Amino acid sequence: MLLHYCDLAWRNIRQTPFISVLMIIAIGIGIGVTMTTLSVYHMKSADPIPNKSAQLHALQLQIMDDGQTWRTPDNLPQQVTYKDAMYLLENSPLEKKVAMFKSGAAIHLDKPDSVPFIKDVRVTSRDFFDMFDMSFLYGNVWSEAQSEQAAPVVVISEVLSQKLFGRKNALGESVYLGDRRYEVVGITKKWRPAVKFYDVNNSAFDPAEEVFIPLSHAKAYQVSSWGNTNGWKNEEINSREQFLNSETVWLQFWVELNSASEKAQYGQFLLDYMREQQELGRFNRKELAYNLQPVTQWLKYNHVVSADNKILVGLSFMFLAVCIANILGMLLAKFLKRAPDAGVRRALGASKRQIFYQHLVEVAILGLLGSVVGVVLAQLGLAGIRESKSGYELIATMDWQMLLISPLISILACLIAGLFPAWVVCKTSPATHLKIQ
Amino acid sequence: MSEIKPILSALTRSKTGAILLVMQIAITLALVSNAMSIVADRAEKINQTTGYDEQGIISYTLLTYDKDTDIPKQFKEDIRQLKALDGVIDVLAVSSIPLSRSGGSRTLSTDPEEHSGKNADSGYIRANHHIISTLGLTINEGRDFTQSDVIYGRNGDYPSVGIVSRAVADKLFGQGNGLNETVYNGDDAFKIIGIIDTLKSQWPRSNMGNSLIFLPIEEAQTYQKFIVKTTPQKRAQVMKQIEPLLLDLDRGRVVMNIKGLDKSKADTYAGDTLMIRMLIAIVVFLVIITALGIFGLTHFNISKRTKQIGTRRALGARKSAIFKYFLLENLMVTALGVVIGGVGALVLGRELMGHYSVPPLETSAILITAGMMLLMSFIAVYSPARRAANISPSVATRSI
Repeated sequence: MLLHYCDLAWRNIRQTPFISVLMIIAIGIGIGVTMTTLSVYHMKSADPIPNKSAQLHALQLQIMDDGQTWRTPDNLPQQVTYKDAMYLLENSPLEKKVAMFKSGAAIHLDKPDSVPFIKDVRVTSRDFFDMFDMSFLYGNVWSEAQSEQAAPVVVISEVLSQKLFGRKNALGESVYLGDRRYEVVGITKKWRPAVKFYDVNNSAFDPAEEVFIPLSHAKAYQVSSWGNTNGWKNEEINSREQFLNSETVWLQFWVELNSASEKAQYGQFLLDYMREQQELGRFNRKELAYNLQPVTQWLKYNHVVSADNKILVGLSFMFLAVCIANILGMLLAKFLKRAPDAGVRRALGASKRQIFYQHLVEVAILGLLGSVVGVVLAQLGLAGIRESKSGYELIATMDWQMLLISPLISILACLIAGLFPAWVVCKTSPATHLKIQ
Repeated sequence: MSEIKPILSALTRSKTGAILLVMQIAITLALVSNAMSIVADRAEKINQTTGYDEQGIISYTLLTYDKDTDIPKQFKEDIRQLKALDGVIDVLAVSSIPLSRSGGSRTLSTDPEEHSGKNADSGYIRANHHIISTLGLTINEGRDFTQSDVIYGRNGDYPSVGIVSRAVADKLFGQGNGLNETVYNGDDAFKIIGIIDTLKSQWPRSNMGNSLIFLPIEEAQTYQKFIVKTTPQKRAQVMKQIEPLLLDLDRGRVVMNIKGLDKSKADTYAGDTLMIRMLIAIVVFLVIITALGIFGLTHFNISKRTKQIGTRRALGARKSAIFKYFLLENLMVTALGVVIGGVGALVLGRELMGHYSVPPLETSAILITAGMMLLMSFIAVYSPARRAANISPSVATRSI
């Protein structure tokens, strides 16, 4: 029966090509606009690491004196000091934790034909790869001992390996970061989270780094941060030593917590640590505070989905409502014009319900065709956004979820528009139409 | 106006078409007026004058990784060679680039103890005494830096003078004051020797968008930013020459981010530009769809009543009466839509303002959009109404 309805619908659409095309264009534009804004919203708000997002927690400590304010709603800085990061790495009861920061370097091979180029570098402790589910193609992360000795070892991505050495397996090769020679100990598989969730503070929509070196280099080789560095206190900082010992916040710190009790225990550990530090004159405040936020909450806290994204999605759906009203009008006109056909079919024994369904099938087919137009328009829109160079290069794309949801929204919109016209047609009595003929 | 009653009774007989029209007009009005209000606000932000010679300035970053390089000496040679290029007016090292969203900021105070004085957060730029003229700025009050003000290197010394933007001076010392006053930055202090009225910081979109200070410190770091002032005509040409020239002088470094100041500004406002484009795209599509909808529905409403029109004509109605009837009918429907849409626009505007930082919706935005909607619906109804007026009375008698 459905096939028969589809066949009928297709004939009807072809009988009135002009108005049908108009309707397809109208729903297509509506879907195009909606899917463009919705895709951006979806990519930004999607969970970047679904199977671990509940375990991974971003750590914040309230380091600032009473009375000082910060740009977050609860006044806690998003990053931690070097001192605290080091203590928490070495003394934490947890198995997995990572302290890290963003840096950069001129990468080259120290050969005459190798032109140096700048790459972002992530300076991090060892657990980074394990915690954020980064897998190795060859080799592995540097060892504990290498980390302690600040050995010049580096992990690079397969893409960078290909670029530098013309092959994916560059284990044991030497690469220069500035004037220091590093040995490649690991090659990671391609990793492109749409949002750089582990460091939203420094260009959240930049691609993930492709060069990783041990955190111990921060002290050993004075590798400095290329990211946000915020001093909230007036301190004399004239040397690297002074900087590392200062109250400046510039590292990101994440922990993996597997249960609520583990979280509570860790929280107690943090409070104990801060109390201990208070005796040294730090954490100079009445109430100690810390934050442990899982990934999705962390993204919300940092406003990764901007107000503009939300406004655009809202306006797009209003736009879609106008398109629905429009199509409703056209469907009404079209169906009423063809009401005599329905009258004949009713007279020949078709039930009201059958007439109703037949018209809805026709409407759904229009929706499906409209979604094709819509997806094409949305791709154009997203390409335009990528071109705008506003940090949306990885974000303005349509993943398969959005691709699947487009025809659903489109058909649903058309069905909403078609309900009333289909009902009007099926309730007209056959006699009125038969009489005229 | 005696026609209002029959129009009303006709409308109540076929409500669907009218309701659809009212709905479309209302949503369109609410959406367009709010969208255009946001567009106007963003456009105003983008078009604010920065005070800089945006078309004449190039910035670049130099990362020197070769530890053997004598950096201060190399920079002097770089600058000498760059200045020899055709079109280059001046070159100097700066701690950060205006409008670029990166750099340092400080809390300044009128008192060495931050808590007891008035405070102002401000961006700062360290550079030598050429900085003001190179950026194309003019000092509105006080004097420019001289060579004797400049401190070389960053070994704990602090300059005794500084030039600040009007916003910083006003915030610290009150409207119009500030010249020759002392500003504290923790244990360090400087005297304000110059004030610049129009000046944007590195973060023009933030709440310290107008707050910037210049400190006369000349630096030579491994990671160092530079600005080059050129004549606007030669800028593109100079921009291409910078990297090869610098690498020829010394290989142990990388030149990054060579761009015009206007490009830095555009990048900083890229999000706003994108928002403007998206909103305008939505508005344009919406207006097209709504116009088509009004046209189609009016057409449909009239064609459904062909016989009635013929009957009226046969009973003695003039063409102009028919024409006027449909114009009036359309006006009534549109007006209802506009009223509902106006209220909707206010509600939507309030919702947006409550949740996000958008400007308050101006009544004029609603009125202008409403006027446009009325005009649009008039244009849409004109030709169908004309056609209706031309329906011959014989139609009424023919097919019954």
